[in-house]
Amino acid sequence: MTAILKTTNLKKYFKIGNNGFLHAVDGVDIELERGTTLGVVGESGCGKSTLGRLVLGLLPATSGEIYYDGVDIMHCGNAELAECRRKTQIIFQDPYSSLNPRMSVYELISEPLVSNKAFRNKAERYARVMELMDTVGLAERFINSYPHEMDGGRRQRVGVARALALKPDFIVCDEPVSALDVSIQAQILNLLMDMQDEMNLTYMFITHDLSVVRHISNEIMVMYLGQCVERSPSKELFRNPAHPYTQALLSAIPAPVLGGFAPEKLLRGEISDPINPEPGCRFAKRCSQCGTNCVGKDVPLEEIEPGHFVACTLFTQKGGMPRNTS
Amino acid sequence: MTDIIASNTELRKKLKKKSQVAEIWRRFRKNKTAMVGLFIFVFIMLVVIFADAIVPYSVSISQKISARFISPGQDGHLFGTDNFGRDIMARIVHGSRNSLLVGLGAVVCGIVIGGLLGSVAGFYGGTVDSVIVRTLDTVMCIPLMLLVLSIVAALGASLVNVLIAMMIANVPMYARIVRAAVLSVVGQDYIEAAKACGTSNFMIILRHVIPNAIGPIIVQATMAVGTMIINAAGISFLGMGIQPPTPEWGAMLNEAKSYMINYPYTVIFPGLAIGLTALSLNLMGDGLRDALDPKLKD
Amino acid sequence: MSAMPVLDVKNLEVAYHTDETVMRAVNGISFSIDERETVGLVGETGAGKTTTALAIMRLLPERTGRINRGEIFYKGEDLSKKSADQMRLIRGACISMIFQDPMTSLNPILTVGDQILEALEIHNTDGKPKTALDARVDELLSLVGISPLRKVEYPHQFSGGMKQRIVIAIALACEPLLLIADEPTTALDVTIQAQVLVLMGELKQKLGTSMIMISHDLGVIAKTCDKVAVMYAGEIVEYGSARDIFEGRDHHPYTTGLFRAIPNLLGESRRLYPIDGLMPDPSALPSGCKFHPRCSGRMSGCDGEAPFLFEENGHRIQCNLFRKMAGQ
Repeated sequence: MTAILKTTNLKKYFKIGNNGFLHAVDGVDIELERGTTLGVVGESGCGKSTLGRLVLGLLPATSGEIYYDGVDIMHCGNAELAECRRKTQIIFQDPYSSLNPRMSVYELISEPLVSNKAFRNKAERYARVMELMDTVGLAERFINSYPHEMDGGRRQRVGVARALALKPDFIVCDEPVSALDVSIQAQILNLLMDMQDEMNLTYMFITHDLSVVRHISNEIMVMYLGQCVERSPSKELFRNPAHPYTQALLSAIPAPVLGGFAPEKLLRGEISDPINPEPGCRFAKRCSQCGTNCVGKDVPLEEIEPGHFVACTLFTQKGGMPRNTS
Repeated sequence: MTDIIASNTELRKKLKKKSQVAEIWRRFRKNKTAMVGLFIFVFIMLVVIFADAIVPYSVSISQKISARFISPGQDGHLFGTDNFGRDIMARIVHGSRNSLLVGLGAVVCGIVIGGLLGSVAGFYGGTVDSVIVRTLDTVMCIPLMLLVLSIVAALGASLVNVLIAMMIANVPMYARIVRAAVLSVVGQDYIEAAKACGTSNFMIILRHVIPNAIGPIIVQATMAVGTMIINAAGISFLGMGIQPPTPEWGAMLNEAKSYMINYPYTVIFPGLAIGLTALSLNLMGDGLRDALDPKLKD
Repeated sequence: MSAMPVLDVKNLEVAYHTDETVMRAVNGISFSIDERETVGLVGETGAGKTTTALAIMRLLPERTGRINRGEIFYKGEDLSKKSADQMRLIRGACISMIFQDPMTSLNPILTVGDQILEALEIHNTDGKPKTALDARVDELLSLVGISPLRKVEYPHQFSGGMKQRIVIAIALACEPLLLIADEPTTALDVTIQAQVLVLMGELKQKLGTSMIMISHDLGVIAKTCDKVAVMYAGEIVEYGSARDIFEGRDHHPYTTGLFRAIPNLLGESRRLYPIDGLMPDPSALPSGCKFHPRCSGRMSGCDGEAPFLFEENGHRIQCNLFRKMAGQ
């Protein structure tokens, strides 16, 4: 089996001031099979959106490798790059700001078709737009509407239709439901899953919300300050969260049942910017189980169960067994 | 799936493509103040076009010392006469051509060139942006009048050269406004969305950046026309622009200012002409900005 | 129960009037808040939650927003009849509000200490000396878990969660009896949200403040509220104790739908259960039960008259499905 997307040691540093570098994405490896979904979870500033833009080639990477369907997109020719661009698409978080307010639904959905000269005549293009609207569940009467005349759910359907227009294989969903109400959020998530089943799409699903990603992902990657701290099959992650940060994330989700938070599991402090970070675990400052091994030396990802990787010193000591489980 | 649409006209009907222009006009028409502005402006343009039919050009420049300072309404002079005994109405009618040419011309050319520089600077950013902005800043440092005067002095005194000089002096200001407007648009997600679906930079500027950035530019431009007319008058006054006795509103104001106390009508009428032009453009500009924005549709 | 409630809203109706349309944002809602109690208003965008809060604060946009009917009693006094000057004294001192976005509710060019001080000075009617106010600023900052030494810093030097703590400190500066929190944690990350919610709970205990918690997130409501009002299209479709809403058996179909739509951490199913259809347009609300076009349990009479109001031990449900139950 070949992966549709593979990155090795992918890095993106942004220059801050004169000699500061913000390590937005710092050595991330991804391997994604066709037709599956990778959930990328983390809080704001963890580099998850940057990662999404990197694999689409919307941002140039600082170093590392990205292979899309076996093609090295950082070093390939323009023709191959254009072909990759066509096959990879993105769905944005805020369907209001990602749709040009001065374009009608027809213009918005046909834009990728026009830009890529996908159809020779207007009638064919019209037919394709109608087909797309039908696929994403937008009634024909919206064809002349403007974004501001529609509600959030319908706007996001336009966003999905745009992404599907060129029949892509791989779609980065950057928080596609975060701006939507729960009842509508469920509609869009179901739509995305149906599209995946129907067209064998591959998703990279970026979100801050672990409960959303659980429904749609086969594998989940938890990011903290530009690094992957835990990667695991979806079910395994929720059954057996290993990294202290993943555990904290899970316990901070307010479940709709009575009873307060468990205060001992709450994180202290807040996420900081990864500007010229020191070597060592980046979560150490907020971690209640931080030991002397956690600083000074980077912590590599270790496989603790088949397919379940964790970057934490609690697991690196004795052949993958936890040092301390209390 | 829907049936393939046979003809283009049928397609247009489906998409309610009454052409953008018709749609904008429909929205513009609903705005009463903008329509008032349009009527005034059309009136002024009619005067410009039919100036010779209203009153011969010779009347506007023929001097008659015996007929100095005739009050408005007397002896067939509707707006009275000036210090050389020239009919003020004739001068305003014929002056409209020069004034509007300078005012509109300087603004439109300034916007086109400034807009181009500003959008390139704002869209591409980085070094291109720095070079353009720093160069324009340098030009902006030179006082407006000094800059215009030196350009006119180099090119020679004529109406066209005044226009060119004022256009050059205006470019930095418009470039800055356009750049700011473009920057606010470029940060939006839909620009990234357009890039992600493979739209070329040219199409992005044309379809996404300009339509969304044009609002503040239109308003600024319509407000500037009046100022340009006055500035042109200042240059004429210094003897570098339009040469007397050619009628021009700004120049009329300048000539009349020594007699303002005793014969106020000599400044009131040209002042009113400039004011009305500026007002009409301003009302139209506001209306046009709203008409271009589908968010304010109905 | 015998004591007078801190806030008693009766049959409140608010509408926004524009040139062309009338948006009926709040349509006759009633609820009350006792001392030390937290009432949650939960619902989706356009349910009228924020409008309710603004109406209580009398901060509705002056030209368009209007209270058409109903009373808002704060300790027995009707706020809807107060003059603008009287309201100014009440706001901040008696009722204060926390807005959603901490990034925009602080003035970027004033130090946070000065901003808290400002809130104190406005309501400093008995002329306390400056030193006393300064001491109070320090006290407030430590109360929300920020070192008083940081009071000379500017808002941009704080992170999102810290800013929201400062906003809370300002809201609590004059020890209001009632705090209205409009989506106070929506703009924050989950781990920070948990911290802020815990802090708010502790402060409420310590200071004895009553609170209205507005949120779209049933989870946040579950963690903070004693009573819950589920709002839909400007009406309270279900109202009851937190136990009624989160553990009770009987629910309005909309409440049931909301719970089913939440992606959960435990269930096995992959698919989610959305509520079909969309929120109605507030300028063209459906007749009868506002939820009937989206309701799966809709019956023949639902689109006609106002729905049946079922009530049992303070648990109110506006739905015709309960007509039979009440008849028993």
